[in-house]
Amino acid sequence: MGMLTLGHRRAGMPPAPRDVVGTSPPRPDALAKVTGAARYPGDLSRPGQLHLWAVLAGRPHARILGVDARPALAHPGVVAVLTAADVPRNRFGLIEDDQPVLAEGVVRWVGERVALVAAETREAAATGARLVEVTYEDLPVVADPATALAPGTPLVQPGRPDGNLLTEVRIRRGDAAGALAGAATVLEATFTTTWQEHAFLQPEAGVAWVEDDGRVVVETAGQWAHDDRREVASTLGLPDEQVVIRYAAIGGAFGGREDLTVQPLLALAAWTLRRPVALVWDRTESMLGHPKRHPMSIRARWGVDGDGRIRGVEADLTADAGAYASTSQEVVKAATLLLTGAYRVPNVALHGRAVLTNNVPTGAFRGFGAPQAQFAAESMVARLAEAIGDDPVAFRQRNLYREGDLEPTGRPLPAGVGALATLEACAAEARRRFGIGWDGLGRVPGASSAPRQAGEAVPSAGTDGIARKRPRRGVGIACGIKNLGYSFGFPERATATVELYGRGEVERATVRIGAADVGQGVHLALRQIAADGLRLPLAAVALVADDSAEAPDAGSASASRLTLVAGRAVHDAVAAARAKWPETDDERVEATVTYRPPATTPLDPITGEGTPNYCYGYAAQAVEVEVDPATGVVRVLGVVSAHDVGRAINPRAIEGQVEGGVAQALGYALLEDFRMADGFVLTRTWDDYLLPTALDVPDEIVPLVLETADPNGPFGARGMAELPLVPFLPAVAAAIHDAVGVWLTDQPFTPERVQFALDDSPGTSARVRTPSPATSSDDGS
Amino acid sequence: MRRFDYASPATIDDALALLAGGDGAVRPLAGGTDLLTLMKADIATPERLIDIKRLAELDDAIALDADGLSIGALATLDDLEDDPLVRQLAPALAEAAAAAASPQLRNMATIGGNLLQRPRCWYFRSSLVHCWLKGGTECQARDGENALHALFDQSPCVAVHPSDLATALVALDASVRLRGPAGERSLSLGEFFAPPTDDRRTENVLAPDELILSVRIPPPADNARGTYLKAMDRKVWAFALVGVAATVARDGDRIGAARIVLGGVAQTPWRAREAEDLLVGQRPDADLFARAADAALAGAAPLADNGYKIPLARTLIRRALAAVTADGAPPA
Repeated sequence: MGMLTLGHRRAGMPPAPRDVVGTSPPRPDALAKVTGAARYPGDLSRPGQLHLWAVLAGRPHARILGVDARPALAHPGVVAVLTAADVPRNRFGLIEDDQPVLAEGVVRWVGERVALVAAETREAAATGARLVEVTYEDLPVVADPATALAPGTPLVQPGRPDGNLLTEVRIRRGDAAGALAGAATVLEATFTTTWQEHAFLQPEAGVAWVEDDGRVVVETAGQWAHDDRREVASTLGLPDEQVVIRYAAIGGAFGGREDLTVQPLLALAAWTLRRPVALVWDRTESMLGHPKRHPMSIRARWGVDGDGRIRGVEADLTADAGAYASTSQEVVKAATLLLTGAYRVPNVALHGRAVLTNNVPTGAFRGFGAPQAQFAAESMVARLAEAIGDDPVAFRQRNLYREGDLEPTGRPLPAGVGALATLEACAAEARRRFGIGWDGLGRVPGASSAPRQAGEAVPSAGTDGIARKRPRRGVGIACGIKNLGYSFGFPERATATVELYGRGEVERATVRIGAADVGQGVHLALRQIAADGLRLPLAAVALVADDSAEAPDAGSASASRLTLVAGRAVHDAVAAARAKWPETDDERVEATVTYRPPATTPLDPITGEGTPNYCYGYAAQAVEVEVDPATGVVRVLGVVSAHDVGRAINPRAIEGQVEGGVAQALGYALLEDFRMADGFVLTRTWDDYLLPTALDVPDEIVPLVLETADPNGPFGARGMAELPLVPFLPAVAAAIHDAVGVWLTDQPFTPERVQFALDDSPGTSARVRTPSPATSSDDGS
Repeated sequence: MRRFDYASPATIDDALALLAGGDGAVRPLAGGTDLLTLMKADIATPERLIDIKRLAELDDAIALDADGLSIGALATLDDLEDDPLVRQLAPALAEAAAAAASPQLRNMATIGGNLLQRPRCWYFRSSLVHCWLKGGTECQARDGENALHALFDQSPCVAVHPSDLATALVALDASVRLRGPAGERSLSLGEFFAPPTDDRRTENVLAPDELILSVRIPPPADNARGTYLKAMDRKVWAFALVGVAATVARDGDRIGAARIVLGGVAQTPWRAREAEDLLVGQRPDADLFARAADAALAGAAPLADNGYKIPLARTLIRRALAAVTADGAPPA
């Protein structure tokens, strides 16, 4: 598959011996990963280790009346059973430490850890876990966020100031109500999404031990070694420096390793028992054990002027936070901000909230609120274009953000606005690839390879003769915007240390930066950046990244931020070290640089005013689908995915991110139907939770890369890893509409939902699982 | 998974002796693709597994004689998918095998085990729920999450039979040969599959100390054709939302005999007898197929979330009938 690169090449740099940035050297970890030689956390062991097994609650809300460990302790091989009383400081959490390491008095979701069994063998640990007798008194379960705030509803975390309301955000600009009252066309609809499981290949696992010097070492996988260290140290009541987090090969993350899972259990057992310990979760424990993507219900009202310009948007979202905060506050802020997508809207009234329930906690997942928000925004844009008889690309061209436009928070967008450029590149390529598309003047007729008649009425139930219900093709397009880097005043920085060695000339370098390579390839990209800056071959640049004691803090592998922030820190540390080199006769110089991007601010609690972000990524995707109206089955035939990456440090890595991201987005759009009932997880294995297979993913995924330099990123690079997840869902919705004439509003678009939309037969139900009634209404006027 | 003992006897008699009196705590193991999953999920907790893959009298042979096609219980789904005899004489079975699971699973899964696999109901498959099928008092799916569940109400449980092969084999009028302590017996699959009852919470009448020896498919009638169609969420490797097997024998320009069997709609493969009766003696055309499809679903009683299966099943029935009555070569 070829990648198309548009835009300008880098200029103004003297030629390097090898243009290391912008090339695609082979991934150094690839061979070991495909041959099985790579050591993932589940492959690790320590001499004399004990095996751990966590006792999970298995019930969504209950008071713990007692824990009797005696039957477990009587089992041969069981060494200890740890409970809440054994945890020095029994609280942790990324943003707010509201979660216990081991449940204390009450369990609030099915995956809550209640006790920890340590045994000489894994089998004894498993048996011991079954023998721990926990006595519960079940409590009423809060399962529906739509009713969780009603008076009299039981409290998930009693004592919080706002009951089950975890967080609320309002963003207002202009007069949205007035603008909608005066708009020429107004549409309203409600959209719902369900949980998404990260489904990384390597379930949570790790080993831990206590060194002779008293340091607790946890070797595992994660996304931010230094924050894992902070949280783990806090649970043990130790100074940060007494805890070391090391990362083995990380088998995928996607946000699902941001929250601690096995780490505090490993550390607790190693510290308490003074023995090496190992813990490996199976798939079901993993699916229960880490936070998911938020289910959201979004009600949106959009209005346009007679000249086709968006006048105002009112939108309201409710997210199911589950039992603990995780990153819900941040996700809801990000999602609320993006409820107007990448569009200039002079009048907005946006409201978002996250609600505590006894469901599985929700947190970070590739896209961090942007996919849900823009499912609503992009669907509304497409429906408005249709309502006023406009072309979906032309309507977007008229309304997309330009350089210098104001965000809903009232401040100008960060420089480097690629919304229009990605859309136009995507539309042009889609027309070339699919033979059909948009030119700003209406559809290009008659060029499709498939029989299709736009606008033809769909046969209704009862007249569905076979001939008239043949599969039909359709094409959809959507845009996407996503913050790159931390938002809303969260401290944003990365520190890199560069050591140079040589005699006379710099011969080799070591880069130290605690950036997690979760599979995205950031370690290679950082070495490429350093090698380019040092004019050294890649092989002469070593990287130390996977040890919190050996590498400085780079922040997390999240928010598509490492290429930009960690890359810039490496870039600047290289420059600082090079500047020192001629001034010394030493054969070693060292420089440490902390890069801090332009500051962001929290939003004003009343108006939502502020500077939420310092960088955005932009993308557009066009999707061709085939819909079988008789069965409701949707197949994706081809995808064009256009991204403005600023500068492609490693083009093949970007291509991989696009292909993997599209596969993950396809699962989200069509297949992945994570279900809970009354607080119980129904989809507990990959038998029940369907991920796309190679046959579900289209052969044709065309990555299209634009390079509009970012003012802050190294060599102009910005991030892009989350963007393939953002426009895909609404692009598929638009393509389904193009094919068969219905708008789907409830994710995922399973065959039964497609069929229900087409064929409103008795007994077919849009009965809602979460988070609130999945009805949608159009009142176009 | 809990600890279990493992035995690998040499003869069927040895295997039956090991199974006898085990009262369900001793289970035969062939491909293991369902049993091991159930054991990992703590749903099945056998104390002992009897490996039946090495029994002298049990095989994977597929052979043709005057009584039709005989298929050894150990024949894998992959064997069925590719076997020339099966493809020629029972294409619906070959298609069902090809539509099931994934290539890796089809290499392991046997026809005997496939017929015995347990429902995919998420309540049944969760160790946290003590549902009626596992000996409890209540079917949580009936008023719970039931999008994947039954259209035809046969018992306190509303889970559906997951086997693609079973649907095709009932349409092919197949029977199973069983052996237990009292000797051998043969049952048509229509008798073999039976909705669970308070006293027998399984989807068939196989006794815990019995083994399936082989499956027999009678010789096809002249001018008979068959097919199996499956609707699923994913392109491959998913259980049927609805499966339809249809076999039709032509009598001149009319339909002489027909069987229509639905999977994914009941606790056993569901024969649509009203539809079969309506087809016999008629000239095949789209209108007839539509009436047959309507007749097949006339008695459906959808639950809150599974009404979509009705139009889906109708569509598959029409398509299957069109495929097996179209002029030209039978569908492969």
